[in-house]
Amino acid sequence: MADFEIRDLRVSVEGREILKGVSLDLNRGEVHAVMGPNGSGKSTLSYALMGHPSYQVTAGQVWLKGQDLLQLAPDERARLGVYLAFQYPTVVPGVSMRNFLRTALNWKRGYDGKDRSKAVSPREFQSLLTGPMQQLRMDSTFLSRYVNDGFSGGEKKRAEILQMAALKPEIAILDETDSGLDIDSIRYVSETINGMRGPDLGVLIITHYTRILQFIKPDYVHVLVNGQIVRSGGPEVADELERTGYSEWADEPALAGADLGEVS
Amino acid sequence: MSSPTTAFTAEAVEELASLHGEPEWLRQQRREALHLFERLPLPSRSDEEWRRTDIRGLDLSAFAPFERADGAAPASPVQDAAGVLRQRGSEPGQVELDPAVAAKGVLLMPLSRAVQAYPDLVRPHLFAEVRPDRDVFAALHAALFSGGTFLYVPEGVTVDRPLVSQFWSSGGGAAVLPHTLILAGRGSSFNYVDEFLSPDLDRPALTSGAAEVFAAEAAQVGYVSLQRWGRHAWQFANQRLSLERDATVRYIHVGLGGRFSKNRIEALLKGPGANVELKALSFASGTQFFDFHTLQSHLVGYTTSDLLFKSALKDQARSVYAGLIRIEPDAARSDAYQADRNLLLSEQARAHSIPMLEILNNDVRCTHGATVAPVDPEQLFYLQSRGIPAPTAERMIVRGFFGEVLDRIPIAQARELVEQELEARLG
Repeated sequence: MADFEIRDLRVSVEGREILKGVSLDLNRGEVHAVMGPNGSGKSTLSYALMGHPSYQVTAGQVWLKGQDLLQLAPDERARLGVYLAFQYPTVVPGVSMRNFLRTALNWKRGYDGKDRSKAVSPREFQSLLTGPMQQLRMDSTFLSRYVNDGFSGGEKKRAEILQMAALKPEIAILDETDSGLDIDSIRYVSETINGMRGPDLGVLIITHYTRILQFIKPDYVHVLVNGQIVRSGGPEVADELERTGYSEWADEPALAGADLGEVS
Repeated sequence: MSSPTTAFTAEAVEELASLHGEPEWLRQQRREALHLFERLPLPSRSDEEWRRTDIRGLDLSAFAPFERADGAAPASPVQDAAGVLRQRGSEPGQVELDPAVAAKGVLLMPLSRAVQAYPDLVRPHLFAEVRPDRDVFAALHAALFSGGTFLYVPEGVTVDRPLVSQFWSSGGGAAVLPHTLILAGRGSSFNYVDEFLSPDLDRPALTSGAAEVFAAEAAQVGYVSLQRWGRHAWQFANQRLSLERDATVRYIHVGLGGRFSKNRIEALLKGPGANVELKALSFASGTQFFDFHTLQSHLVGYTTSDLLFKSALKDQARSVYAGLIRIEPDAARSDAYQADRNLLLSEQARAHSIPMLEILNNDVRCTHGATVAPVDPEQLFYLQSRGIPAPTAERMIVRGFFGEVLDRIPIAQARELVEQELEARLG
């Protein structure tokens, strides 16, 4: 039995079925990439795994630590160890990054405002964040800013990875984390993620392009087309896609070079 | 006047004027205002300003004309203030003013005392902006205003710590009509807070307040109005800010109390370089009704106004916002901004927002906008995705929504008090 098991997941959005029975096994210590053309259901997969209310799960289970994620609220999934790095992180006006991260860390540890001994101390908070912030080249004023408010594309993505580093999930889903990233940012982000790789963390990279996989080497690659996984294999699958694109399944140009347009 | 049986009579006017030891000119002003009150009709829903504002439940005959202080719980203490004036009911207040601040010529005193001691300062300004003939409630206020605060900060004087007035009312069934008159001398700089407080009482009360702020050339004034009347109160407020050349007024309204609360907040930019910030934060719950009417009047060029009103509503609460930016023909090169943001925290809560523009000069920059929306489900999901349960996430979002205004309250103690009140209401 794998640490994280997606079993025959079917998901609809506004009555239209997008995921048509997706199954995938992922163990801690592994990095999997789910690749697919536009409209294949990649983002639906990541949102459904996290429990976004607009995505209706019509069938399937997702097992982590003996619990079916699909029966849990998004915050319960997060506290169980699931993390989603958003493709488009949400702006939350008036809530500082510091307050946001501290509240999230406190809840992760079971502090609900009562037992002070469970709360993260200012010193711990500092020590949790200092390393990743240096690695991601984020200065300290960052914590005083409102969540994602006025962040550049690169800052948003780096902030997603900073949160991941602080919350230390067991299963991390990275949804198009490299899109909108300049070449420096993608390096900082990948270095940070590679630094977290290890026996305690399983990673699911959701991506259209192969670019991020040049920085974070996957152990397994799955191709998602039209709501179904049509191919699974090792890293060589990504190399193949790099050459042929998704032309075998969809009317899209080959991938080689196409990702350059994403550099900003 | 449609209710001839009210206790707002000529005898009441004389008795209240005597309680404050007022001179003949002011008694005469009160008498004239009473005549106006007797003649003016109660507003009806056919008046544009009152179309969504229902006062049918208001019975003016239910109120005594003023409230004698009864020794009930005083207002909360104030830390780190340069001066505090405490007024209970309709009686003249008690003042504590730092002697070092008084030595600079700053006057903080009950209005009734200023009327006698400084008539040359008071008389030209009192009711010069808040006109008794505006409507029946303004007339009633001018006839029976229950004293209030006079603050004068002379030319060039800076007061570092805030000056505070606390109006405390503990009597249901009466009218409490405080008046604040502020004269900011040229180049003066200070922060002032009006705090209106009462417990929730069984019998309705009528609280009709007025504030007049005169900011002379290059004055820098912070004015905070903290409205925490009990749920028994029918509250009407007229607040007018008059700004001369290069003056800046930062106005913040916090609206929490009252069963019914109608506020007119009007800024008049009279000299080039004048700059006003109007910010409000209100939280209505239960069956509370809040009404805000604002005016940003640009009378001359090179003036700036920036309005940001934020309201959260839950339960069956309702609110109405109507705001006018008026740019006069001579007011070229003016900037005016107006944003009214409403957050609905229940299915039944309602907010109406009506932004209005009257622009008579084309060489200006002017933007306005209004939103009425529930808590953004995307924001909620984002916070939840980090392990924060929905109720906590919603509290953070509401607190964040108010943050832009709350963080601007220049007094830590007032800020904390408002935060506690918001926390309590979010439950």
